[in-house]
Amino acid sequence: METQRVQAQEPFVASVGPNANAVPVARGRAIVVTSGKGGVGKTTTTANLGVALAARGARVVLIDADVGLRNLDLVLGLESRIRHHLLDVLEEKVTLDDALVRDKRVENLFLLAAAQNREKDDVPTEAMRGLVEKLRAAYDYVLIDSPAGIEMGFKNAIAAAGEAIVVCTPEVAAVRDVDRVVGLLGNDLSAQLIVNRLRPALVRKGKMLSVDDVNAILRLPLLGVIGDEPEVIVATNRGEPPALAANSPTGAAYRAIAARIAGEDVPAPQAAQAEGFLDKLGAFFGGRAK
Amino acid sequence: MTAQRKARRIVVTSGKGGVGKTTTTANLGAALALLGKRVVLVDADIGLRNLDLVLGVEKRIVFDLVEVVEGRCQLRQALVRDKRFGESLAILPAAQTREKTAVSELQFAGVVEQLAESCDYVLVDSPAGIEHGFRNAIAGAAEALVVTTPEVSAIRDADRVIGKLQERGLPMRLIVNRVRPEMVRSGEMMSVDDVCDILSAELVGIIPDDAEVIDTTNRGVPLVLDPSQRLGAIYTKIARRLEGEIIPFTQLGGGGFFDRLLGALRAG
Ligand SMILES: Nc1ncnc2c1ncn2[C@@H]1O[C@H](COP(=O)(O)OP(=O)(O)OP(=O)(O)O)[C@@H](O)[C@H]1O
Ligand SMILES: Nc1ncnc2c1ncn2[C@@H]1O[C@H](COP(=O)(O)OP(=O)(O)OP(=O)(O)O)[C@@H](O)[C@H]1O
Ligand SMILES: [Mg+2]
Ligand SMILES: [Mg+2]
Repeated sequence: METQRVQAQEPFVASVGPNANAVPVARGRAIVVTSGKGGVGKTTTTANLGVALAARGARVVLIDADVGLRNLDLVLGLESRIRHHLLDVLEEKVTLDDALVRDKRVENLFLLAAAQNREKDDVPTEAMRGLVEKLRAAYDYVLIDSPAGIEMGFKNAIAAAGEAIVVCTPEVAAVRDVDRVVGLLGNDLSAQLIVNRLRPALVRKGKMLSVDDVNAILRLPLLGVIGDEPEVIVATNRGEPPALAANSPTGAAYRAIAARIAGEDVPAPQAAQAEGFLDKLGAFFGGRAK
Repeated sequence: MTAQRKARRIVVTSGKGGVGKTTTTANLGAALALLGKRVVLVDADIGLRNLDLVLGVEKRIVFDLVEVVEGRCQLRQALVRDKRFGESLAILPAAQTREKTAVSELQFAGVVEQLAESCDYVLVDSPAGIEHGFRNAIAGAAEALVVTTPEVSAIRDADRVIGKLQERGLPMRLIVNRVRPEMVRSGEMMSVDDVCDILSAELVGIIPDDAEVIDTTNRGVPLVLDPSQRLGAIYTKIARRLEGEIIPFTQLGGGGFFDRLLGALRAG
């Protein structure tokens, strides 16, 4: 465990020589997962993408920016291991090493938990930027789980990020909130879209927006589509992200998104195809995609 | 301001996002209106308003809460009546392009106080989180409805919010939303009893997870106006409980996440 952490602290420079992958990166990528709208799946997405990226061999650190209402530790099943948190580090009460919690299933995945008994206004934005800068030197990915809303917590979460993943559910209210947030991200942060909790059967009956409907308004590069699956709720309650589960439609979808983030040429999720795909999977796994 | 205060002033809040605060505010307000109460709904989610969409009145908004506070219009000019309920239901919309800090707690409480003088219920739809927008939402309230789902993360957030409400001395009751009876039976979801025990809170409503809610929300139709009335009846029951009637709950068996949650709450 200790050696792991020491390793993770070593400055990381990806290969940029002739053997480099499709997208050579000199430094880690800082990606904020945000939405404006609450409860659309930001934390679920952060946890699962973190797990899926680390399972591919990348070095990943997840930052819970939801100070006061932390959840990422629960979704990862790490709640009993949290000793220190983000604010302890920013206020230099403990070292980064002391505060990073190593995931119990995947190597190279670390969590920096949020303080539960502090306020979002307590987070010093400049120190947060500095911390993420430092982490980018040692990790391939720094994923930041943004809180709902567009107040200080949101501002701190996006401050240090270089890219954004925007999570939206196929609902009118969510689309309006996400649209507002995309506006606030401005041009500095390139944003990509994940549509979560899609129910293809409802879309066909005209009772739910389609991915195309959502993206006709948001007009963002589509990173992936996740179906509405009870297994996600069960996984949250158990603290076991489905991203590792072999026979899980959600897990497969998250792994495909992770590959896409890593620059692999996974076929773009054409909305229509994605729906048919999810629907078939739903039927195959006992008709869970109601 | 010191005239006899008439209305109950209730904030609908949760900490956790997306658990159904806005859905609850809209449908409970509609149910109370159908019971003959005069109801004003206040959208406290400045910058990310949704209540107007859920009620389908978004096209009729002229002024908003921030303009009222800044003295650019009269309070009554900003109220948007939901004509389906005659004179009984109105909404005070939030501004869409402003920040939550555009309104202070004192100003917010003042608006709620003023509304309370001419109706029976003021329901305030709180934003997610516990920042300025939340503090505004609870500022004018005399009681709270905490909405949660039967999930560990939502319950932990609800616990944090209940602590904040207690600091303010606000009495609260609990609504458990998006319950899936089949998952509770198979032990994959916590029971409502477990949720109430963990939060040591008094229950006022149980709402099942139902795709009908998503559809009616998208179309801007309150569930009490839905012809099937299946879900509408549930909100009517909650409304009657608020009115003091004693109506028994239909309870369901439990899953086994109790210990994990207690551990998590103790840890933080
Ligand atoms: N694809 C899905 N299918 C079914 N349920 C889902 C799915 N994604 C998320 N959920 C459920 O929705 C709830 C909210 O998800 P999550 O906590 O990730 O949202 P969030 O955007 O982080 O919320 P907040 O705004 O409060 O931070 C979770 O309890 C989770 O179980
Ligand atoms: N009982 C239910 N069954 C199925 N879906 C529901 C139910 N209650 C709410 N939803 C869906 O969940 C989504 C979130 O609900 P809602 O917008 O009311 O939450 P909120 O707590 O106000 O969110 P925010 O934190 O962003 O303000 C809605 O789009 C709604 O359709
Ligand atoms: Mg979250
Ligand atoms: Mg809302």
